[in-house]
Amino acid sequence: MAASGTQSTPLQLDFSNELLSSSELFESRSRNHKIPVRGQKEFLPNNSEQQKTCLQKTLDEHWMLVTEERVERVGNLVNAEWIPEEKLVKLKSPAGKFWQTMGFSDQGKQCLFPEEALYLMECGNVQVFYQDLPLSLQEGYESFLSAVTVTFHQYQVFSHLKRLGYVVNRFDTRLPSLYRQQLNMPLSNNRLSKQLKRKWNQSPGYRLCNKKSISSPEISAGQHEGEINTNVPCSSLEAPGQLQTQKAFQGEILKSDPESKRAQGRNWWTNIPSTPQPDSFQPSIWYWDFSCIFFPDLGSYNANCACLPPPDPSLLPGALQVRECHMAKWHRNINMKQEQWSKQERQREQNRHGCNINDDQSVRQCRNWVEYLELVEKRRSLQHNKKPTHFREQEVLPLAQPRKCSSHRELLEHINIIQSYDLLAKNSRLPGSEQWRITFNVYQPDTEFKKSCPGKPYTRLCVCSFDGPVPNFHVLKQLSLQSSDVSMTYAVVDHGDVSFYSFKEFQLPTDVY
Amino acid sequence: MDGNETEPSTQSDEQYAGSSEWVDMKNTSDEEKAENQTVNINFCGSTPLLWRAADIKMCREEVGVIGTLVGSLARQPRQNVRLGRPLEILQEEARLLVESGKATALRHKELDENKGSRSKAVELYKARLEQSYEEQCALALEDKKAVLQRVMDEKQNDLKYDEGAEQAVRERLESLEKSFSFPRSAMAVQLCTARAGFSQCPEEHAFLAADWPMPRDERSETRFRVYKDLRRKGFYLTAAGKFGGDYLVYPGDPLRFHAHFIALCLTMDEKLPICDLLAIARLGSNVKKTVLLCSPQNSSDRGEETEEEVVYSSLQWSGIV
Repeated sequence: MAASGTQSTPLQLDFSNELLSSSELFESRSRNHKIPVRGQKEFLPNNSEQQKTCLQKTLDEHWMLVTEERVERVGNLVNAEWIPEEKLVKLKSPAGKFWQTMGFSDQGKQCLFPEEALYLMECGNVQVFYQDLPLSLQEGYESFLSAVTVTFHQYQVFSHLKRLGYVVNRFDTRLPSLYRQQLNMPLSNNRLSKQLKRKWNQSPGYRLCNKKSISSPEISAGQHEGEINTNVPCSSLEAPGQLQTQKAFQGEILKSDPESKRAQGRNWWTNIPSTPQPDSFQPSIWYWDFSCIFFPDLGSYNANCACLPPPDPSLLPGALQVRECHMAKWHRNINMKQEQWSKQERQREQNRHGCNINDDQSVRQCRNWVEYLELVEKRRSLQHNKKPTHFREQEVLPLAQPRKCSSHRELLEHINIIQSYDLLAKNSRLPGSEQWRITFNVYQPDTEFKKSCPGKPYTRLCVCSFDGPVPNFHVLKQLSLQSSDVSMTYAVVDHGDVSFYSFKEFQLPTDVY
Repeated sequence: MDGNETEPSTQSDEQYAGSSEWVDMKNTSDEEKAENQTVNINFCGSTPLLWRAADIKMCREEVGVIGTLVGSLARQPRQNVRLGRPLEILQEEARLLVESGKATALRHKELDENKGSRSKAVELYKARLEQSYEEQCALALEDKKAVLQRVMDEKQNDLKYDEGAEQAVRERLESLEKSFSFPRSAMAVQLCTARAGFSQCPEEHAFLAADWPMPRDERSETRFRVYKDLRRKGFYLTAAGKFGGDYLVYPGDPLRFHAHFIALCLTMDEKLPICDLLAIARLGSNVKKTVLLCSPQNSSDRGEETEEEVVYSSLQWSGIV
């Protein structure tokens, strides 16, 4: 075909001058990869010849760099296809080195998120096709970037950090909160639960555990902790959520309520009419129906049964099989846990709740999570409406009594009315806002990053613009809570400039002792 | 491309007329040429971008539109010091270009699904790839031959003339024609930056003023008038978000000169809190730039004698010792 001149002539004519000819393509293999250095800038143009030639030289270099087109050998390119329906790019040839930090497998296929594919297109690693035609970068920008995938601003931040070598991946807003993770809640994100499943099957410790099955007391505890370990660092195992449940168990065991003993179906594990949505890609609501999930009835342990019936398989991850659970051993296990608390932790726990949650009669009357949450909500709204009645009822007293304080510090603590505010402390339920959300997790370049086990990110990013509003304190707090133990960074985009800001808590030093 | 060569292609274009949409990039009829000469502004979300190198060059040299390069540089993609296409331009720049008739703002449409035109385009793409392969193959052969020839020449000119070695090279040169193979994986292909002619050519539509992606409020109007006035006076402007202003004002091309002013656009009756004013004045003196407060005159206030469209006041933080 190429040999016939009549055919090649119109072919040559039809394309824009930005398309390179074969000889240009061939020559580009010996292309220079150096970037010319720009000299010092000057203050004022003075129309001198020297300035003019200098400007011309800089401009020439500039145009050379801007005009240059990407040329790669076919053998070095990974081919991929854009699937607009799924907003994904699927690889058609084996991935390159970038697979260490980017992409994921879905049903045996290697996929890239649009932002990853676009960045790799810019790096000259991947050629993306759509209906058998390669996409230009322009088409990539125009088709890949949107409000449903990643916006142009977000991509600017993404590619800025990628170019610096950072590992950047999407922050999954659907990821359950720390609290939910610790309660062994199912993940609504399909992909993540798949990842979990794989991990489970690979872990030899787990298989051992499963074989030993019921004979080992670790089974139920191990199941919990294993799940948690895959999601959160071990250090946070003893966080409020879990402690609370453990305490609840304990309380019921100690004062076994005769009524609850008789109550039928009050079981955490079974009788759940669950409607799992295994293959829905949309962010789904939790498919656990909390009005049907009861607190585990450990109170009846003394009386009729010595073991819990097996849990509903739909609540368990993957191919897990848990048979009925001997409670005597589990009970012992819980107590062991309690002894491991450090003094500090116990103190913190007491401060948080004021008193033991099991001493509260109305809490004890709750039969399931929904009722408990309603109670908490009711109390909160009551607290908000409450008038400061104690002003009228009680005698007005000074904040500090003479001779009651032995040091300056103690005195200062007594007269301290406004408590300092901890960004992460109170687990208040702030309504999430649509405008502000965490977009990316960022990992440092030098660390040995593994996709299967990314570990704790270096920071999390929220992308905003100078044209938009400044995040207020509400937003700061909400995003910090969502980000939990990882710091938040705000990436601000202004016409191609990306700058990073982070809001840090600052404790004023007190130098009086 | 001169007239003689383009003549036949015009005819062939007429044959395809209407059926093949991809034949639009280098057309030779006068209207299309004119259309091709206007700058294409493509919006990504609400951000105006320039993709074609020729457009970027023309805008900088003829209209003084600087903008910011935001893509990875083709030559060295993994660094942030020098970036490459696309060029992000200011809303004001986009508006000025469109209003002066130098550019068309284009809206991107979904990738084309038209089977007929697509299959034609795919065919053409494959033919072009094949042609490119054969040409590169021939070039590689020439290249290799040239190398061997050079080696042979060197051998011949060598003082210690070695007939055996020269003979070996000669044999290799002769057998090259038959044994030479150019693997497909070694073929070089271009990864296009701007949308190329052979691509699916989604129908792009020019924006009507009403669908401009950014709403036109008082603030954008103020900014636009200041931009136009400063541009008219010969200054080069870029965004000044990092300095807390609207524009950075350069006396010459920003590639070679430092900015002198930080321009802050305000309407005549806008109230600026004193702390904001102090902050920007202090910042300006710290970065060795003068802060300019720029307020466009209301047309009704402007008398016959005042020619100035925009009133500028400079602000300098000066301590008296």
